[in-house]
Amino acid sequence: MPLEGLKGRRALVTGAASGIGAAIVSRLEREGVSVVGTDIHPGNGIVVADLTDGDEVEKLSAKAGAPDFLINVAGGPVAPSREHTLPDLPKKSMPLEEVDEKSWHAVLAANLTTAFLVCREFAPRMKKRKFGRIVNFASIAARRGSDRVGVHYAAAKGGIIGLTKTLALELGPHGITVNAIAPGFIKTPRIAAADWGNASPAFIESLPLRRAGTPDDIAGVVAMLCSEAGGYVSGATIDVNGGWYFGP
Amino acid sequence: MKVALVTGGAKPDSIGHEVSLRLVKEGMRVAVADLYEEGFSALRECFCVRCDVADPASVEQAIAAVASRFGRIDVLVNCVGGSWGITRKDLLASPPLGFRGLTNCTLENWRTIVAANLDSVFYCARAAAPHLKKQGGAIVNVASVAARKGIPPGAEGSSGPYVVAKAGVTGLTRQLALELGPFGVRVNCVAPGVIASGRLKRVMALTGKERGPEGPLSTIPMGRVGSVDECAALIVALCTDDTSYMTGVTVDANGASYAA
Repeated sequence: MPLEGLKGRRALVTGAASGIGAAIVSRLEREGVSVVGTDIHPGNGIVVADLTDGDEVEKLSAKAGAPDFLINVAGGPVAPSREHTLPDLPKKSMPLEEVDEKSWHAVLAANLTTAFLVCREFAPRMKKRKFGRIVNFASIAARRGSDRVGVHYAAAKGGIIGLTKTLALELGPHGITVNAIAPGFIKTPRIAAADWGNASPAFIESLPLRRAGTPDDIAGVVAMLCSEAGGYVSGATIDVNGGWYFGP
Repeated sequence: MKVALVTGGAKPDSIGHEVSLRLVKEGMRVAVADLYEEGFSALRECFCVRCDVADPASVEQAIAAVASRFGRIDVLVNCVGGSWGITRKDLLASPPLGFRGLTNCTLENWRTIVAANLDSVFYCARAAAPHLKKQGGAIVNVASVAARKGIPPGAEGSSGPYVVAKAGVTGLTRQLALELGPFGVRVNCVAPGVIASGRLKRVMALTGKERGPEGPLSTIPMGRVGSVDECAALIVALCTDDTSYMTGVTVDANGASYAA
């Protein structure tokens, strides 16, 4: 059975050029959703925009119209730039002393400021129509902490959870749900390229489901939250991590 | 065809009833285990078995009957629950008058409520596990927003023991996720807020339209109670491949009234 409430809706997906974002675009399109994808990295059908820049978010807004679903995937442990739109992930962990101020600010901007600016731009249109579904992306780094990606990424993703809860309270009276997904170890092409795909067998064996996640595993949960099944879910952070960490 | 067992699916205005019908639409063969035999005739597409989920022998019998009828069990949804309407005597009763907190409930209240809400999930999961482990599958439990935030004194229709039992269900969900994950069985939980089921109507008949079993409805940020359809759709999604990488998780569906 297809999920109820998706067909004929419109979505804006950020970070849509690769990995989890690209899988979400395909999944929603398969459900009959009309999707605009945006990314700083160019790609097939992608509206290129640097969402850390308020002016560019405004320009995007002219092209994206009034989406019913807003899926904020843009972000990552290494901030992209115009020059490096899909930067490699570090091959080793990032201790506190190696996080300089520049990367601190850049990672907060890429993961947290982007979600704030995009929500601020599109929520008013959802309010007018008394309907909307916003899905933000947190991370296991914010839930459990991380021994890999650094304090800047964990802090930014923790910020996403606070932003999500606050918007759920603020936008709830307008018929808009706001939730976050906190993925665990998801084997995207970029993670595989950084050799994280070779996570130790002991780690994979320690996961109750005994495997890494896939971008499609995450896309299914996004579809669920946008469908009838997500109608009364708001303010939640959904852990999708194969049982690695169960949440608070 | 996959086989699902739903407990508490027989009352026509319940979440479990809607879950049962939706699992049939998903293409599963569905068994319903319930004490409310009067509801069986409305579930023609389901295999209905009388079962008292608070009695381990009755649970063992029901699950053996389902396994022998269909040869397998892929999905278990534990919907039975509540602070009242959980014994054969009071199945369709009104909620009892007066707030039953932990400091003023009787030992009988405690035992009845914990048995129906927590022991029952343990009995059902333990009896179904050997069948689920054979080919993998999913268990979905139902907790409550009450497990997150407690019940304010004065609220009618819920109770202190219910809070504790439902919090127990979230812990049981995590433990089963660890034990059954290696066999490809995912175990998750939904924690609903106030849902417009028959039970809510019976509470409101007592308390008026402004109050639900957890207190005043005006404090729900989404400005409304949840529908049975929304809640059932969420439970069904946790039974399907849409949630293939989720296990041990409790999903809150409470209109933003408590963000865990």
